Amino acid sequence: MHTVGVVRAGGAARAGPRLPALEALPFALPLLVFLVTLYGMLGWTLYVSLSEWSGTAPDYRFAGLRWYRLMWGLDRFWVDLGNNVRWLVLGVAPTAVFALLLAYLLEIASSRRLEAYLRTLILYPAAMSFIATGTIWSWMYQPDRGVLNTLVRAAGLGGLASGYTTDPATATYWLIVIFVWQYFGMSVLLLQASLRTTELQEMVEAARLDGASHLRTLLQVIVPNVRGGVLVVVSLLLISALKVFDIVYVVTFGGPGYATDVLAFFMFIATFQQRLVALGAGLAMVIFALAFLVIIPYTVYALRRWFE
Amino acid sequence: MRSSSASLRVLATLATVGLSAAYLLPVYVMFVTSLKTPLEVTQRQYLLPSADLQWENYATALRLVWPSLVNSAVVAGTVTLLAVASGGLGGYYLSRFRTRWSRLLFVLVAVALYLPYQAVLIPLVQLVAATRLALTHWGLILSYLILNAPLASLLMATFFFSVPRELEESAEVDGASRLQTFLRVTSMVALPGYASTAILVFVQVWNEFLLALTLSTPYTTTVQVKLAEIKGSYVALYNLQMAAALMTVLVPLGLFLALGQYFIRGILAGALKG
Repeated sequence: MHTVGVVRAGGAARAGPRLPALEALPFALPLLVFLVTLYGMLGWTLYVSLSEWSGTAPDYRFAGLRWYRLMWGLDRFWVDLGNNVRWLVLGVAPTAVFALLLAYLLEIASSRRLEAYLRTLILYPAAMSFIATGTIWSWMYQPDRGVLNTLVRAAGLGGLASGYTTDPATATYWLIVIFVWQYFGMSVLLLQASLRTTELQEMVEAARLDGASHLRTLLQVIVPNVRGGVLVVVSLLLISALKVFDIVYVVTFGGPGYATDVLAFFMFIATFQQRLVALGAGLAMVIFALAFLVIIPYTVYALRRWFE
Repeated sequence: MRSSSASLRVLATLATVGLSAAYLLPVYVMFVTSLKTPLEVTQRQYLLPSADLQWENYATALRLVWPSLVNSAVVAGTVTLLAVASGGLGGYYLSRFRTRWSRLLFVLVAVALYLPYQAVLIPLVQLVAATRLALTHWGLILSYLILNAPLASLLMATFFFSVPRELEESAEVDGASRLQTFLRVTSMVALPGYASTAILVFVQVWNEFLLALTLSTPYTTTVQVKLAEIKGSYVALYNLQMAAALMTVLVPLGLFLALGQYFIRGILAGALKG
């Protein structure tokens, strides 16, 4: 398949001669304007988080870290952080592992037709919104008349019937299932692309000729050498799991209680419902800081590939 | 590296069956439930199609979501056009100019791609309200444009890399300016790239919820906000919820099924869509 990944684009790049700045201006200007606006707003949010602003009207008097200290003292903040960690671990690790397994399985044991079918099958949710899939899955999960419990009971396994997202103990996990369901196809697609680099194909070929089993090839040749693709997929999943808001909003609205609350959802509630705008800005900065940690390795990797 | 040992074939079959169930059931349920009467939804025959297909559910749902479908089409369509245009320019800069500045811009773009919308939401609301853009579609359009221009630029840059420099050089020898070369040569060759970028941006904007929720007014409500509203207020009417969900996913899903190759190429080129 024809692929032009950011991750590999660098190879095909041929740097042109250095051009006068004037020539570059019309190309760079629109992007520059958007970026300046974007980073300006980021700085603005940071400033809001250090201000007194609570209430409808902006109040930019400097408050220092007052709202951050308040945030630190809130139970809800720590519940949210715990839930975010659940999302980051359970939304990402199983998705990446199973995606790699399926990508490899498709390489070694499937026909073109089956592969085309599976690709469309698992990728179509990528074109749908979390609001739409959340609405559908709410109906699947509905405890007393919903699809899953009906199926379970029809199979005579009534004991397996669950409260799903209405049970505070498990609600977050069932939300994560929706996320994994939706992002799985994209992860497989990206990993398949990185399994198909000539470099890796040759290594796999060599290992197979030496008599290595499929499992050994996977563990000792593919896993160590597909790091670029895994880095891309894991970064993408981490950042999406960290930002998760739509699923929580539409399926549980953070409930029952705070059971499924996450930082992004609290940020929305604090800012637009409780009108504690400085607190909301602080939460936004926490989300941004976590996101920034995630993207550093990716950015370094992409930059090196881009300019190599 | 294809092979066909029996255990592998069993494994592949198991995966196919399992994935088919997991990925077909939700769509099937959405479709079947959307054609039921409220009574059938509350009775215990959920997976069977309705005995008396309720096509008027779609009429009811369409009446509910139609204005928001128009809003979403206007917003996503305009953003796509503008993002692709500015992405073409920005992408050309990122792919063809190798200076300290382009390096800096690339880093800024890479970070911006991953920027959680929450980090700019409060200033955006302030700006859109202060400029009174909130009253028209332009509030949403400009906000989405700012947030999607970096993605569009990076995607286009990736596609421009595969355009041979020799083509441009021969145009330049003929005396074309840089901008003319970009418009008449590079952009023409990279048209499929423009299509991929357009589809990805369109789907992303169509599906976006947080900004739409905070920035839209009753006049500009997008389809995602409307669906969330229907889901919230028609608690028991699952048949209408499913009919509305179906209307919401029809456009992006249609694009995906009709132009899947462009969509896939876009995802691979971006690998950064959030």
